[in-house]
Amino acid sequence: MAITRTIMLSIESRPECIELLSHALHGLCPLLTLSATEMNKIELAMVEAVNNVVEHAYSFEPIHHIWVEFELMPERFELRVSDRGQPMPSGRLAEAQGLMAPDPADFDTWTPRTRGLEIIKACMDTVDYVVLDGINTLSMSRALNGDGMGGRV
Amino acid sequence: MVLTHRNVEGVDIVALAGRLVMADVPQVRQRLLATVEQGNGKLVLDLAEVGFMDSSGLSVLVSVFKAARLKNGDVVLLHLSPTVRSLIELTRLQQIFTIFEDEVAALAYLR
Repeated sequence: MAITRTIMLSIESRPECIELLSHALHGLCPLLTLSATEMNKIELAMVEAVNNVVEHAYSFEPIHHIWVEFELMPERFELRVSDRGQPMPSGRLAEAQGLMAPDPADFDTWTPRTRGLEIIKACMDTVDYVVLDGINTLSMSRALNGDGMGGRV
Repeated sequence: MVLTHRNVEGVDIVALAGRLVMADVPQVRQRLLATVEQGNGKLVLDLAEVGFMDSSGLSVLVSVFKAARLKNGDVVLLHLSPTVRSLIELTRLQQIFTIFEDEVAALAYLR
């Protein structure tokens, strides 16, 4: 019987803590039917999302918390990153419309630091953002190739 | 993140090992910019042992590249791990960086 399983983690809003989430994600690898390349894209999307929270929602203040939820469904893996900081400006997610090629003659177009949302969109199948009761949540999902149960039924 | 520096006939070679992410950015940027500043601006970054990099790590490479160019030097990337190659191709920065799989060829390019 196919079931949905969820795990939620909380970290402090410090860059040093983000690596903990990567280790947790890799711990789920045996349960996912994704290649190493696909797992890397999910990790990159997660890290970019949490980076954005640390930098923009909490302005590098280390006293807050970030919640990351992994939801493993039969055909889909979903990640939700939540915070209580400054919400993303309205329309910012919709404006992130793909990664433009850098212009070799223009230094300003080279910097990938400001393109976290574009990277997330390129790595995941769906990306949504909601603000509800003071909690901001970026949800990202990726289709799984198999049953998503890591051989379990 | 561990950085190992050596100099071969005027070209600085820095090998990075570990994860290049937001937490490491200040230290790594400072060390690489210092290498460019103190040398002649010709730098090989060996990324074979970089297991993961995010956009903030990639921004370090870009800032070092800019600093080298302003000094009439150049930065080339060597031995991209699959993870790093994937990020560079995703952001299309292979159009900016010169990438080598062979150190001898990288050194010959910069000399």
